Amino acid sequence: MNSTQLIVIGAGPGGYAAAFLAADLGLEVTIVEKETNPGGVCLYRGCIPSKALLHAAKVISEAKHAKAFGIEYAAPKIDINKLRDWKKSVVSKMTGGLGQLSKVHKIKYIQGEATFVNSTTLKIKKTDGTTEELSFQKAVLATGSRPATIPNLPKSPDIWDSTGALELENIPENLLVVGGGYIGMELGTVYHELGSKVSVVEMTPGLLPGADRDLADVLYKYVKPRFANILLETKVVRMESHQNGIKVIFAGKDGKEFDENYNKVLVSIGRRPNSENLGLENTKVKVTPRGFVEVNDQRQTADPNIYAIGDIAGDPMLAHKASHEGRVAVEAIAGHKVAFEPQAIPAVVFTDPEIAWAGLTEIDAAKAGREVTVTKFPWAASGRAVTLDRIEGFTKLIVDPQTQRVLGVGLVGPGAGEMIAEGVLAIEMGAIAKDVALSIHPHPTLSETIMEAAEMFYGQSTHIYRPKK
Amino acid sequence: MPELKLPELGENITQGTVTKILVKPGDAIKKGQNILELETDKAVLDVPSNADGVIGDILIKNGAVVKVGQPVFTLTGGTTTPSQATPTGGHVQKEQQNVSPSPLPSNPTTGGESTPGKSPSAKQTTPGGISEMTLPALGENVEKGTVTKILVKVGDTLKKGQNILEIETDKAVLEVPSASEGLIKEILIKAGTVVKIGQPIFKIEGGTAAATSTAPVSKPSSHSEAKAEESKDTSRSFVAKSAPQDDAAKSVSLPIRKDIPAAPSVRLLARELGIDIAQVPGTGKGGRISVDDVKAYCKMLNTSRPSSTVPGSVQVALPNFAKWGNVRREAMSNVRRKTAEHLSNAWTSIPHVTQFDKVDITELEKLRKSISGGNKKISVTPFIIKVVAAALKKFPQFNASVDMTTQEIVFKDYVNIGVAVDTDRGLLVPVLKNVDKMSILQISDELTALAERARLKKTTIEEMQGGCFTISNLGGIGGTCFTPIVNWPEVAILGVSRGSMEQTFTDGVFIPRLMLPLSLSYDHRLIDGADGARFIRWVCEAIQQPFLLDLNK
Repeated sequence: MNSTQLIVIGAGPGGYAAAFLAADLGLEVTIVEKETNPGGVCLYRGCIPSKALLHAAKVISEAKHAKAFGIEYAAPKIDINKLRDWKKSVVSKMTGGLGQLSKVHKIKYIQGEATFVNSTTLKIKKTDGTTEELSFQKAVLATGSRPATIPNLPKSPDIWDSTGALELENIPENLLVVGGGYIGMELGTVYHELGSKVSVVEMTPGLLPGADRDLADVLYKYVKPRFANILLETKVVRMESHQNGIKVIFAGKDGKEFDENYNKVLVSIGRRPNSENLGLENTKVKVTPRGFVEVNDQRQTADPNIYAIGDIAGDPMLAHKASHEGRVAVEAIAGHKVAFEPQAIPAVVFTDPEIAWAGLTEIDAAKAGREVTVTKFPWAASGRAVTLDRIEGFTKLIVDPQTQRVLGVGLVGPGAGEMIAEGVLAIEMGAIAKDVALSIHPHPTLSETIMEAAEMFYGQSTHIYRPKK
Repeated sequence: MPELKLPELGENITQGTVTKILVKPGDAIKKGQNILELETDKAVLDVPSNADGVIGDILIKNGAVVKVGQPVFTLTGGTTTPSQATPTGGHVQKEQQNVSPSPLPSNPTTGGESTPGKSPSAKQTTPGGISEMTLPALGENVEKGTVTKILVKVGDTLKKGQNILEIETDKAVLEVPSASEGLIKEILIKAGTVVKIGQPIFKIEGGTAAATSTAPVSKPSSHSEAKAEESKDTSRSFVAKSAPQDDAAKSVSLPIRKDIPAAPSVRLLARELGIDIAQVPGTGKGGRISVDDVKAYCKMLNTSRPSSTVPGSVQVALPNFAKWGNVRREAMSNVRRKTAEHLSNAWTSIPHVTQFDKVDITELEKLRKSISGGNKKISVTPFIIKVVAAALKKFPQFNASVDMTTQEIVFKDYVNIGVAVDTDRGLLVPVLKNVDKMSILQISDELTALAERARLKKTTIEEMQGGCFTISNLGGIGGTCFTPIVNWPEVAILGVSRGSMEQTFTDGVFIPRLMLPLSLSYDHRLIDGADGARFIRWVCEAIQQPFLLDLNK
């Protein structure tokens, strides 16, 4: 039987970050992965292809918007085959690069699927049809997640999950997005800009459950007049497949049923961890009822030889959380005194406008009964936002009134995703609002809004007048 | 001419006594070839060369005490690899872990007088009034550091708490405060040398330094002892190194505290130094904790640490014994020094209770004599070991350790029993592994072989580690009862004294029976008095009625 010091199962952003670091630390590393190259959902069917398409959407949207200041373009001609090829080229460029990185790190890459025989042995069903047993000293489990499904849906090519939507098979005239979370809203934005009439149905009273309401409300106000329909507090009762698409039967808040026809339906109601069919029952690994693998601060499972990172190790299911966990797990394996202890894991929704937050949210603070001071700087007072003709956004800081520490940051508006990094740094460094207010921010940029929100904590900000009480 | 220095031998081995020199001047040696036989407090080790070359001069003698990093040979026509050995100047090659190269002063000594005048192999004698000050513990996980600055010089009068050294560890540069007072007579280290916790750094006169040499070492040495199974070769040991974590993964790191106003790098430093970041007072805005705050807290812990292991006890200077007649001073052997440290630590950190009992071994003696014959002699110890192994399974809290830092009890699923062996070097406790899976005859054979190897200094470090429980049989010498000291980190020890015929009153008549006195000392933090009594009763009954062993399975 072949053996390896460290086996990494699944080469998404968590797995490959772990594997590369382990190789750099001098470990002998093997990766088992279904795809030909590392990348995982993020690169093949998630972050990267969706961002490529969202970039295209943004170009269309800005060209349209330019009419407001006297620049008018004709309606865009969309060559969907070329757009799809471009998206594919982005993906293959990235995954190919990771394949190269894996080679130069001298990592043994096995294409196939692994199951645990016991706490030190894997059985690998290789893509070439052969089977191999491999013994290992330590394993990092990084098998990620997959889209959750609604039970009893009709089998139809007109019902997509996020993977199907990213295939960009055509531009449907009508598209229903089931689930108003970040995946549904991002892909809804893509198809909206490509010309589909997009409707969104969401069970809860608002879009982006989990985000602070004031942030989600700005997105709601922006997309409501643009999208075909946004159905809140509405359930999907069932779907029926017919020749021209899908008939969807809804139930509103009052329980009354109604139906609507769509060419395509995108089901984006969340993701499920891939913890089944791994032979975990042959190890000491413990799995929660929701399917997450239980881990300690070093991301070590109940089986001392096995670590778990990324989506399979718990919420939030985000690539950057997975990579960080991957590094923690490998350093722990190498004997370093590390722990997974982020004070802030940023979340970004790449809609138009973008939403981003990090650290403590107002929802969390209310739940914990924690007293916080929230300062909000409206982008209407930002020169940069006005030059972009996008003044609907705002920047808010959630501050501890006693220590003045920045505990959370929330942003909504174009470019929020890039700006949140400053908020993460402030929170991790234990910055107080004064530190942020006293750091000179470049003018004219949207980042100034973070500085001014910090100034507002002390009652004064350059571009906002607040009469003295 | 390059010098070959004594390489690192293991996690907490700082020195050893040369028992054999395996090469002579003119010999061509290769990397990995054994050059010395060295006796440490743990075992006799073969020391391999870390360089190729031809031996020039031999700088040591049989019987000399050599410290790690001390030159042992000069070499011609070869290059020494200083990797693990202590460099005297120039630059330090770091362990390949994570640190950036450390800037070191180009002049390796601060002040010419600081270099020891005598031969480096000079014995560790302490002539009247002069004592050695050792490097105190710097933090839970710091075992050594490179001296970057010596802040005092020969002739200085030290005050307690005064900064004496600046040491660069792989985590940070730390100032080291003095734990004692006195006049510096000699400085035993240089800037640029790697110094281990507990290694002598100064000779001081008229001070309380003697106290310090035991105090700070106790905890870190025992800590590192637990980790001593780590491989000596760091380059290959990434996975192996993490092995001790596996037993109790949670105990490795301090609990994560959310919402601590410290940067990620500061939190990491604190974790590496073994400091609970939540305890560190932050001096920054909003209570923000800086690197300096962590260092200051670390230093505060070191100065506030009592200079003796006994809280509240006062270390009294020895009287001048020469007033009453001739005296002779002799350096402690490695085994003696280690025994002194280890047992003081065990005695002061474990609240001991000793429970006495007697077991009727009349029948056992008959059995023992019937199976011993010719040159095969089976003592009573293997029988007791077998019964104790069963008792450890029956009473798991006796096969455990106390982890006060994490407030956890470590239960062991294996049964390894240490047996105290009296050797001409002193007390040694080799460990019989997995005795629960051995027959009494196997235990007997293994025990005889192991004790013999211990007396001949042939035991390996592995054979001296990993015990769950210790048995000390003084029956061969005599005595009725004694109070053995628990062999930390174990939680109990069984003392066996000499059996004697006694009148026992059974069924209305006095019958002579052979009674063996047993003394069970245990750690009262973990084991309650009733459990102690139950344990020793169970052991006695199982020896009297060995069938109980199977009945209770």
